[in-house]
Amino acid sequence: MLTLFYLFAAISVLSALVVVAARSPVNSVIALIVCFLSIAGHYILLNAQFLAVVHIIVYTGAIMVLFLFVIMLLNLNRSSEPQKSLATRVAAVVAGGLVLLTLLAAVRQGISVEPARDFDIGTGLVRSVGRSLFNEFLLPFEVSSVLFLSAMVGAVMLGRREKNPQAA
Amino acid sequence: MSALILTSVLGVLLLYLGVFGQKRLLAPVAVLGLLGAIGVSATGWWMDVPLFAHMVRFDNAAAAFNMAMTGLTILLFLFGVDYYARMERDVAEHYALMVFSLTGAFLLTSYTNLLVLFLGIEVLSIPLYILAGGKKSSYRSGEASFKYFLLGSFATALFLMGIALVYGVTASFDLGRIQEVAMAQGAAPTPLFLLGLFFIAIGLSFKVAAVPFHFWSPDVYEGAPTLVTAFMATVVKMAAFAGFLRLVQFTALPPTLATALLVMTVLTLFIGNIVALRQTNFKRLMAYSSVAHTGFLLLVVLGNTAASTSTLFYYTFTYGLATVGLFVVMTLVKRAANGSEEVRSFRGLYQARPWLAITALLLLLSLAGIPLTAGFVAKYQVFLLALQAGFLKTTVLAVAMALVGIAYYIVVVREAFTADEQPLEVQVTPLNGLVVLLCGIAVVALGVWPIQLP
Repeated sequence: MLTLFYLFAAISVLSALVVVAARSPVNSVIALIVCFLSIAGHYILLNAQFLAVVHIIVYTGAIMVLFLFVIMLLNLNRSSEPQKSLATRVAAVVAGGLVLLTLLAAVRQGISVEPARDFDIGTGLVRSVGRSLFNEFLLPFEVSSVLFLSAMVGAVMLGRREKNPQAA
Repeated sequence: MSALILTSVLGVLLLYLGVFGQKRLLAPVAVLGLLGAIGVSATGWWMDVPLFAHMVRFDNAAAAFNMAMTGLTILLFLFGVDYYARMERDVAEHYALMVFSLTGAFLLTSYTNLLVLFLGIEVLSIPLYILAGGKKSSYRSGEASFKYFLLGSFATALFLMGIALVYGVTASFDLGRIQEVAMAQGAAPTPLFLLGLFFIAIGLSFKVAAVPFHFWSPDVYEGAPTLVTAFMATVVKMAAFAGFLRLVQFTALPPTLATALLVMTVLTLFIGNIVALRQTNFKRLMAYSSVAHTGFLLLVVLGNTAASTSTLFYYTFTYGLATVGLFVVMTLVKRAANGSEEVRSFRGLYQARPWLAITALLLLLSLAGIPLTAGFVAKYQVFLLALQAGFLKTTVLAVAMALVGIAYYIVVVREAFTADEQPLEVQVTPLNGLVVLLCGIAVVALGVWPIQLP
């Protein structure tokens, strides 16, 4: 089990690095798919079957296909990559490095924290996810329907073609 | 709680009216529905029980905020009758999205669970991303929408990571449980907890446009349709601050985080007011003025005394009234000045419509914080609260910055009261006049008889 964990962890970290470092956007997306799959592996190791399946269907399936479509439709490649100025790059590296440093320090000091709750093997099963979704998390579940409805209304509104072509 | 259901259903009803092409019914139905929401919120007064397994709690503060935000939305919808009169399509969607956004605002004022806070922010924001791009023919509107969406998603990602870290430490999304952990850890919380709270604070600071997370606000305010800008400046700001205060009340900010936020407050006060001095576009001026007001409001949140809720409510409500009125005046002036949004185009307003110019003067004076208007009482309460909380130096800076603030509001007043060779032909519909006058009267009335939440 532990070997599997380290294997998935290594794949996750390496593929995440490739996502950032790859020159071609398509390679980035493929690496991201690998990353998501290995994270789904982690979920399975934790006995969270529901999360693993949803993760693969939604992220690896739907969202990444969308990403690929966008990249192909916009025809992004190395030549169309915007060049940032040196100052922007330095600022980005410094800012990102500082966040990393803070996170590392926090993890190093916080690593001794005892788990706040014992690990329950049944937490990730479809049955218990459904139970908590329709009991204690009923309100967030219902409210998210308003969220999705407004997103759909927006997609239709913004995506609809204008009547007179001059206005568009 | 009933208000939450009522507004959700109202939004769907408005969409149906749009489907059946009943454009003239939209505003009356929306206004009636929101009046109902105010009534329902009012009946919830003193009925303070946790609902849905401690997800939300409509206490008196939440009820007051909800009623005020609904009231401001009603004023905006009355303005919308004329604003959307020439628009053929998507009118129902605009009304419905604003009602949905208001639903998210209700969640922000009443949450007792971090999940609901997250959903509230998203339900509040996603309609706004769409509404900011509502003028499809305008390049700037699309830019505003896209910029707001990208930066907003980034802030949301940080915010979510913060929630995850806090959950990692406390094993709960419940504010009560988080409060217990925060109490137990005292002044020296574990770094992960601190970092989590910090990321959550960043997400909320983005929503209220505090420096250095304010870069989106001038562009978005300028590019978005005026009605949406007014909605963002008033209802959204009120909701985000109510949510922020609730978080601070429960977690009692660890000292390190309080220091970081105090630095942000100082920067917000300074940059908001100084940069506003250089603006010539009225909407950008209002954007920086809104950043400046965020600075004062952050003081209230950081102070976190017993009077915080009342002060925050009074400040955001009176600020909202003045801002709504001014945006209506700006739209009227903009039409008369061939679509120019520059402060210059206010020239000759007094000549053309003396009463409009005088009401605008009152609203601007209220934003500047001149005595006898509500803005003065609001600022006075903020300074008093900040002094009680022990922010002596910051309060001195805030007072100085309030004085700087008078300068850029006076520029608008000066333009409005300068005579122009060409008279400004301002057309005022009765409803628009009513909205402006209501805002003007309310600002003076609330200045003379300030209200306080119990």
